Amino acid sequence: MAVPNERIRNFCIIAHVDHGKSTLADRILQLTGAVDARNLKEQTLDTMDLERERGITIKAVAVRLTYKADDGQEYALHLIDTPGHVDFSYEVSRSLAACEGALLLVDAAQGVEAQTLANAYKAIDQNLEIIPVINKIDLPSADIDNVRRQIEEILGLDGATAVLASAKEGIGTRDVLEAVIKRIPHPKGDRQISPRALIFDAKYDSYRGVVVYVRVMDGRISRGMKVQMMSNGLKYEVAELGFFCPAITPADALEAGEVGYLICNIRSLKDTKIGDTVTDALKPAERPLPGYEEVQPVVFCGMYPAAANDYQELRDALERLQLNDASFTYQADSSDALGLGFRLGFLGLLHMEIVQERLEREFDLTLVTTVPNVAYHLVRMSGESFSIENASKMPPPGEIDRIEEPYIEADIMCPTEYLSAVIDLCKKKRGIHVRVDYIDSRRCMAVYQLPLAEIVLDFYDKLKTYTRGYGSMEYRLIGFREGDLVRLDIMLNGEIVDALSSIVHRERAVWVGRTLAVKLRGLIPRQQYEVAIQAAIGAKIIVRETVKPLRKNVTAKCYGGDITRKRKLLEKQKEGKKRMKQVCCGSTKSRNRPCRRKKRNPQTLHERSRRCCCRR
Amino acid sequence: MCSEIENCEGPDAAETVFFGGGTPSLVAPESLEEIFAALHSRFTFTNPEITIEANPDDVDAALASAWRSIGVNRISLGVQSFNDAALHYLGRRHDAARAHRACEIVRERFENWSLDLIFGAPPVSAWEETLRTCVELAPPHVSAYGLTYEEGTPFGKRKSEAVDEETSLTMYRQARAALTDYARYEISNFARPGCECRHNLVYWRNEEYAGFGPGAYSYVNRVRARNATKTDEYLSAPGKKDETLHLSDREIRVETVIQYLRLRAGLRNRAYLERFGNTVREDFGVVIDGLIRRGLIAEDGDGIRPTELGFELNNEIGLALV
Repeated sequence: MAVPNERIRNFCIIAHVDHGKSTLADRILQLTGAVDARNLKEQTLDTMDLERERGITIKAVAVRLTYKADDGQEYALHLIDTPGHVDFSYEVSRSLAACEGALLLVDAAQGVEAQTLANAYKAIDQNLEIIPVINKIDLPSADIDNVRRQIEEILGLDGATAVLASAKEGIGTRDVLEAVIKRIPHPKGDRQISPRALIFDAKYDSYRGVVVYVRVMDGRISRGMKVQMMSNGLKYEVAELGFFCPAITPADALEAGEVGYLICNIRSLKDTKIGDTVTDALKPAERPLPGYEEVQPVVFCGMYPAAANDYQELRDALERLQLNDASFTYQADSSDALGLGFRLGFLGLLHMEIVQERLEREFDLTLVTTVPNVAYHLVRMSGESFSIENASKMPPPGEIDRIEEPYIEADIMCPTEYLSAVIDLCKKKRGIHVRVDYIDSRRCMAVYQLPLAEIVLDFYDKLKTYTRGYGSMEYRLIGFREGDLVRLDIMLNGEIVDALSSIVHRERAVWVGRTLAVKLRGLIPRQQYEVAIQAAIGAKIIVRETVKPLRKNVTAKCYGGDITRKRKLLEKQKEGKKRMKQVCCGSTKSRNRPCRRKKRNPQTLHERSRRCCCRR
Repeated sequence: MCSEIENCEGPDAAETVFFGGGTPSLVAPESLEEIFAALHSRFTFTNPEITIEANPDDVDAALASAWRSIGVNRISLGVQSFNDAALHYLGRRHDAARAHRACEIVRERFENWSLDLIFGAPPVSAWEETLRTCVELAPPHVSAYGLTYEEGTPFGKRKSEAVDEETSLTMYRQARAALTDYARYEISNFARPGCECRHNLVYWRNEEYAGFGPGAYSYVNRVRARNATKTDEYLSAPGKKDETLHLSDREIRVETVIQYLRLRAGLRNRAYLERFGNTVREDFGVVIDGLIRRGLIAEDGDGIRPTELGFELNNEIGLALV
């Protein structure tokens, strides 16, 4: 028997890392009897074993719960997990679009954080009903009044209506669910018309192929139905559908208002676009659901196998990885210094790290990764425009009308005493001041618009240094802007080193060039002759560093036992010279990994959110 | 040590003996005599060169005469400098006057003797002074080494005190200029005609040698090996190796060319051919051409030899060859 719309609620939990999202989810599962306390392993939504015996290895990103409310009625609740990180902001927005309401979880001791804000604003934009939940009220350092005030002042929500809870102690869980029933509107889809279902997530399962998560907006989708993806017209037959309760539970149909899964023998995630609309292939809906976008990579880097003969292995690994992460792109590339490799595109820096780590861990590859860069938008004199992310492929200056670079708007939160340092940093990074909000007497939030290229370089590390680790930050892409951008070449004895060319802002060119040249000067072993390291814009040399020639290099004493020792020393030096070329290209090992994390499976969204706590 | 000598393997004919490393001048002449006896019972010598390294502090007329009477015919005197400040910096016990006296004692009793000198210790002016005194004393042989701050030694931590490369180069050239009556037959070694150190030439030609005592290296039958370095370990099993390296044919060829190119005479084509069965160009033609182009070595009809630049940047030759 189908549950009527009036007794369905679709919601998600928005929270900053460590504010207790997983624990609250567990309490809700426990209270609704989906998992009994005895079997409740820590954070059920995170565990994989549960489903393995049923031939499915992925984790639930949406669960269906049955809740008997105080009004005596039974309700079907769909709790939808959301990715926690800005790189996946489009996915977040689609998950939110599948809900009518959201629980905004705020730590009673720590208050509102940058990440809370970013996602809360997204939820407000989507017209979601937001229920603030103040968690961890049992902590001695809890300051409930202050958090209520923050919720009102920063988020513009009614702090007085916040539900008080301690998920860890099981306090207030029922109040949370009653608020969900009373305050979140029920879905309003028409079940009689052609079906339209929003794809808000998809996972690849090695047994079953792609598992698609949908929110049915209109009509119904039933087992055996021939369905169609509205973005690309691909057609499939629904082999199975149903709910995660949290155990996988097949059903006959998904009705408007419901959230569940579809399995349709889809082989690759590439064919499943988040935000796409699923409809009846025989009686398709007229228009797809609004908001679908093709996600474009914004951060790029080269990846090369450390051992040249691992190239084929890397190619295979990328192919296989793309089965369950279709959001990165790759194409073959080669470099004089590094040989054959690939150029990859990512949704963001964290996404880049996830992919790199999976390649290294799951496929046991050792990679040399070049410094990341962003994609620019280039308009030719002829009016023709295209995207460019590799400086060495830039046309001559005479052919270029303008170059635009991606900009982001960043919310940077920090204790007030670090505000001037943060402003200083943003200025150095070509930031445009938007405003500063004071959260309370101790903390504030600076809003800046910055070129993404500056963020990609070393912004996070710098922010941590400038704020002694207290700064947190979120950002969103706000589009492309014209900039005075130039191609900066690095030359060794007059010859351009392709791999070191970059696109930089003219004002920053000398600084970037000097930094690179000085780094190179330290790396290039001295030779018999002088080596000139130059940075140039076109024919104009803007920086010159010199590696002085060797004047005296001799082993004064070389007797009996010294001979072999000396030969080995020379061999080592020679090896060092060879490796120097690689080092010039940089390795992300040190640049992008500010801290070493525990090994985790990055497949789940929970983990994505936890990861960003390491970084931020 | 005597038992180690008597039991050692390898050929019977020997040409040179060198008591060196550490401070052999502290060894009592009677003990030296015993070692000599062991050497003579194990090896046959014809016209040997027998050198002992001596500390100026230890040298007196009696000891020098004793050495002479037991068969030593060459003294290598570790003077290092004739400047007191430099000697202090180097941590030597003797001063310039003592060094001078030791030279006189040795000169009166030995025809063949050598001065060991070090440049690069402050003050910079010490080197000219040392060279001047050296020329006055006119030893048949001089070794002049640049001070190296080797890792693992007390000097390793003081690398920042080293004179700059340019100064070091100037000092090296000063030695060459001052010692005009000598031939610089190796990077750091100068000799009057016929007074080259025959023993050290063995190393620079990468020929075989046997080493005795704690930490001594041997190179016999393509194996380079080191005796146990700790005295107690050595005494419990004399001749037991703590490091043994079987050199490949390629490694031997590389080491041989590198060593020969420390010598003014360089490497004769015929010597290489006789030893390895093919020409040096067959093995290293491309590298040799590269080194000639870079001005580090020159071809002179029947072989290759380092140029002046090749002396000063000798490690570059080695780097190209490995």
